[in-house]
Amino acid sequence: MLKTRNDRTRPRLGLNLSVQGKKQAYSGPPDVRSLLEALGENSTYVNVRINGEVLDRRDFEKISLHEGDRIDFLYFMGGGIV
Amino acid sequence: MFNLSEEEIERYSRHIILPEVGGGGQQKLKQSSVLVIGAGGLGSPALLYLTAAGVGRIGVIEDDVVDLTNLQRQVLHATPDVGKAKAKSASETMQRLNPHVEIDIHQHRLTKNNIFDIIESYDVIVDGVDNFPTRYLLNDACVMKNKTLVEGGILRFMGLIMSIRGGDTACYRCVFEEPPPPGTVPSCAEAGVLGAVAGVVGTLQATEVLKILTGIGKPLYNRLLQFDAEELRFHEVKAKRNPGCPVCGKKPSITELVEYDYACETQAPKP
Repeated sequence: MLKTRNDRTRPRLGLNLSVQGKKQAYSGPPDVRSLLEALGENSTYVNVRINGEVLDRRDFEKISLHEGDRIDFLYFMGGGIV
Repeated sequence: MFNLSEEEIERYSRHIILPEVGGGGQQKLKQSSVLVIGAGGLGSPALLYLTAAGVGRIGVIEDDVVDLTNLQRQVLHATPDVGKAKAKSASETMQRLNPHVEIDIHQHRLTKNNIFDIIESYDVIVDGVDNFPTRYLLNDACVMKNKTLVEGGILRFMGLIMSIRGGDTACYRCVFEEPPPPGTVPSCAEAGVLGAVAGVVGTLQATEVLKILTGIGKPLYNRLLQFDAEELRFHEVKAKRNPGCPVCGKKPSITELVEYDYACETQAPKP
């Protein structure tokens, strides 16, 4: 569940992340797949980078998020036929 | 030998008046050659601006036919062109816009057997392809031949741009190592695309080409720019050469061109 920074109901255990250059508080399960789901991103056509490093797409569930992580989504955009 | 005529000086006067371009920069454009792969959503604006800008020789690769559904974004083609070969329609529009430009038409698809010969004689290549197999083929060929490639992609309300100096700066595979499994990423035909987003991205690609050819400013090397039209935001991501990149890394596993299957392959076939 995404909360804004000023949301008083934000659980204390949430993480402050930088997602696509925007600061965002996040209080869901601290793994990449859960973050993608919470943000409505489709993990089949997005690559994820944490602090500059591109993740292996097969590991999204195993990779945990930490306070202050900088997260970028890199979208596959191919055009017409796949 | 590449002197500009009176008519050309007048035509390009708004370029020439820019101190960064000047007469010298305009002559550089006239001496340059650019290859645009695809005369569709991205290729249309890119080709229009490159033609208008006076790039001396422009190649177009396109084997498709103009369809009514193309006209919502493929601004090179007009209603009377429906049913016509896109390559022919593109060349007619470009010729009308600027008769000083030499246009090479390649009316076939890019394959691993013809790509090196086709890209060889051009200074910069623009990616306006409509599929992942050709996108990866083009990236790999440009890395192997040290060609400069301006990447672009669009889907729905999003776009992506990245410039690549093959073998020198981060390539497409440094960021997107392998194509997504077929069927996982929707196509524009399935998911739609806002026509003007193609205009934004194709125009940015043309801007990059003109900067690279004239040596103006800083190209989008080692940077990936993502455009989100819904929020009207650009998000830049730094991209580094990936030492593990299968084509430009330290120990590349791809040393010969591979062609991915359009249908249902998920792994790269053997070269």
